[in-house]
Amino acid sequence: MQNLLDPAVLNAISGLDLVAATVVDGFVAGLHRSADFGFSQEFAEYRAYAPGDDLRHVDWNVYARSDRAYIKRFHGETNSQLMLLVDASSSMGFASHAVSKLAYVRFIAAALAYLATRRQRDATGLVVFGDTVRDFVPPSSRQGHLQRLLASLMQAEPQAKTSYAAPLTHLQTFLRRRGMVVVMSDFYAPPADIVRAVTPLRVHGNEVVLFQVLDPEELRPNVNGSSMLIDLETGAQLEVSEDYVQGRYRERIEAHVADLTREARRAGIGYHLLQTDQPLDQALMQYLRLRTGRD
Amino acid sequence: MGWLAPGFLLGALAVAVPVWLHLLKRSASQPKKFSSLMLFEPQRRSTTRRRRIDHWLLLLLRVAVLLVLAAAFAEPYVRGHLPGAAPAKLLVLAVDTSASMRAGTRMADARRDALAVVAAKPRDTQAQVVALGSRADSLTEQVQDAEVLAAAIRGINPTDARGSLALLASLTRTLAAGTHMPIEMHLFSDMQATGLPPDFNELRLPPAVSLVLHPVGAATTPNWAVESVAAPSQVWDPTKTRIVATVAGYATPAATRTITLSINDRLASQQSIKVPASGRASVVFAGPDIPYGLVRASVQIDGRDALPADDRYDFVIQRSERVHGLFVHQSSDVATGLYFGSALESAADAAVVLDEVTVDQLRNRDLSAYTFIVLSDIAGLAPAVETRMASWVRAGGRVLLSAGTAAAQQRRIPLFDAPILGSHDYTRDDIRFASVAAVDEAYAPAGALAGWQGIKVFYVTRVDAPQAEVGLRLADQTPLLLEKTLGKGRVVLLSTGFDRLTTDLPLHPQFVAFIDRIASYLSGRGSRVSALSVGDSVDLRPDPALRGSADVLAPDGTHPLDLRQAAQVRTWPLPAAGFYALTLADSRHDLVAANVSRLESDLTAASPDTLKLWQASSDRSTLAASSAPVTGAPPIVRDESVHNLWWYAMWLLLVAVVAESLVASRYLNSLRESS
Repeated sequence: MQNLLDPAVLNAISGLDLVAATVVDGFVAGLHRSADFGFSQEFAEYRAYAPGDDLRHVDWNVYARSDRAYIKRFHGETNSQLMLLVDASSSMGFASHAVSKLAYVRFIAAALAYLATRRQRDATGLVVFGDTVRDFVPPSSRQGHLQRLLASLMQAEPQAKTSYAAPLTHLQTFLRRRGMVVVMSDFYAPPADIVRAVTPLRVHGNEVVLFQVLDPEELRPNVNGSSMLIDLETGAQLEVSEDYVQGRYRERIEAHVADLTREARRAGIGYHLLQTDQPLDQALMQYLRLRTGRD
Repeated sequence: MGWLAPGFLLGALAVAVPVWLHLLKRSASQPKKFSSLMLFEPQRRSTTRRRRIDHWLLLLLRVAVLLVLAAAFAEPYVRGHLPGAAPAKLLVLAVDTSASMRAGTRMADARRDALAVVAAKPRDTQAQVVALGSRADSLTEQVQDAEVLAAAIRGINPTDARGSLALLASLTRTLAAGTHMPIEMHLFSDMQATGLPPDFNELRLPPAVSLVLHPVGAATTPNWAVESVAAPSQVWDPTKTRIVATVAGYATPAATRTITLSINDRLASQQSIKVPASGRASVVFAGPDIPYGLVRASVQIDGRDALPADDRYDFVIQRSERVHGLFVHQSSDVATGLYFGSALESAADAAVVLDEVTVDQLRNRDLSAYTFIVLSDIAGLAPAVETRMASWVRAGGRVLLSAGTAAAQQRRIPLFDAPILGSHDYTRDDIRFASVAAVDEAYAPAGALAGWQGIKVFYVTRVDAPQAEVGLRLADQTPLLLEKTLGKGRVVLLSTGFDRLTTDLPLHPQFVAFIDRIASYLSGRGSRVSALSVGDSVDLRPDPALRGSADVLAPDGTHPLDLRQAAQVRTWPLPAAGFYALTLADSRHDLVAANVSRLESDLTAASPDTLKLWQASSDRSTLAASSAPVTGAPPIVRDESVHNLWWYAMWLLLVAVVAESLVASRYLNSLRESS
């Protein structure tokens, strides 16, 4: 089942909904053998019925035996809100293998949306941004909302530069409910600036998680001799040597990741580094871990 | 060790190319897209590190390939015997067959010496026999068979050609360029001083050639010759004809010689002349009896000397009737006819009877009686007259038009079939006149005349005739003398007049020469020469467009042209002395005389110092018998055999190329895997 979470395998599946279903179902099937996590289908407790509760959740068997109405509660039943922020700048189009960073982010976002809407009944929203907000799907848990999210994800194409300040400021106006905000980007910006831009999202007690998605080539570039590199966002050219890439650049990218991790932790923001050649379960696991912690 | 063609070593500079390419490949590569350059910094590598070369082995092999290639072209050689290798060289036996070799026993001596060299030749040495006359003819391939070589040498006979030692140097350079063996060149010749070229550099030999000279004949041999004959090529009144013959003696004592003039092989006149020692004397034959037609004439010295071939000088005289020309002018114009006629009468070779009529009288004239017609500044021709004249021209007639002030008033030039663009009166300009700025030297009526630049043209008619041949052009590019072909005839246009108002040409001496020359041109007499030298070419196809067949009847009664040559060849070199009867492609018949070049008459050999200097022009030349004539035994040649390493260099090149391919393939595979 782990094989179904391989990005290369998922890339061969044409429909994003099918990708999401494949990822989540496979992931959940793996989790059922774990004692740490449960889903809303798993019974948690009974609670006395109160006016306003959904009658569909009344345990009629208990009511028949005891003549009292109880509401059957499950793990994670408390509804939450999940906002997915997807960076669709030009740099996200980089790919050293079959799966680009944006494609990988699409898979994660689709899987999270599927998991949240179908399994957890959480309201899920989507923001696709580059230097501006290019697409916005308000959070909702209505039937058919998942298809809208997936359609927006499919339409996201890498273009323009990345700007965290303007889109995230714009998003603050829509975050009125407590929930989770997942920001998926390659985060090519000074870590302090990124955290400074993301921190306001923690209003109303939101949990904020940064998924830094990088291609393996970005972490360990393979350059033979001297190479001319072109910046996908700015078009700037720079000649780099093999020696520099093998040494100094790796130090700088590792320092960048470490700085971002430290700054995020200091600001109470979750951070995870995802590589586009790794399975998607890490992202899903992180989401469930956060959600479980909030129940 | 040395280099036979050291200039090619400059090709070694090409090693800079692979070095540069290897550096370039390292410093520049295909641009590669990357997410963000935020974490990159501009390179700060040291120059030494930046210029570090990858793939040293590959680079060294590539450099080696280029170096070996340059070395192979430069043809390395070593002297002496290579271990295990037989000495290899090409023996070239060049026998002089020029006319001077007819003197005495020179040719027999040359053959004998050449046969001696062949007999002494090592069996495995390749040799080639070359006959050196007006051109170098290879009589054999490069063979080892002594019998083949000897047979070729025995078949060599002297010719009437002029010899040139520069031809041997040229042949040597050609052979050296085509073979990779050292060449041992043997020249069997009388080493005539007159065979040396004016520029000694033309004798320079290639480095891989050793020259062995085999002089034959005495260094100085007395010889008399009819050096030249000055005779008109065409006459119509023999009583006025003067034939001047010059007799020259080379290394001769003072003597009285009898000179005979023969016309058509019949004695026409005979005179005695005293020729000073090693000097010249001339004799004049006045008013010989010359029959009509093409006449074979010759001047001959009595007795025999060392070289009989130059004792006779053949030439051709054509006797014909005077041709009739018609000069047409306006009735009001009385001057131009006077100028034209006077100039024609004044010409020394005048053979034209000129009739002068007005344009009104032209209507009743029978044009077939005239060879050419001159229309002097005619304002216009009656349509019937013009039509009749056009038909006459198309049938082969020739017309000279002058377009002066009267003709310029018309819209077009009659017969010339060209519209008049306008006229220009230079007297109204600041410069007052125009000068001739361009002369087509190949245009017979004007090209050979000097002094055109001094002619002033005051008035000119401009015509639109882009297809016309332009013989003279003014400084403002206005054509002054043009010619067009009309059928079989020609129409020549002088875009100014013959009068003094439009040009001062009639006031210049060139006017007489010009009128004489253009009258000859229009009458079809051309400028035939009375005699040629052996080796000169005759024009068998004056009009290349004609597809007719030409024919040559040689002095020995043979027809030397084969069918292809008769149908296609345009010029043909005269191979031997004597009279040649020609049938030109246009069916006209002609007769030319060819004589042995008088440069062959001086039998004095070049000085030994000059010959030694020639041999020294090649640093591997061998000092041979130039100071002591060969009398039977082959010359002693020092063994300075030169071994060309070109073949070894090529093998080395092959090895280097294969190694480079293997190494390059390995690097290519590794690059493909890494990418």
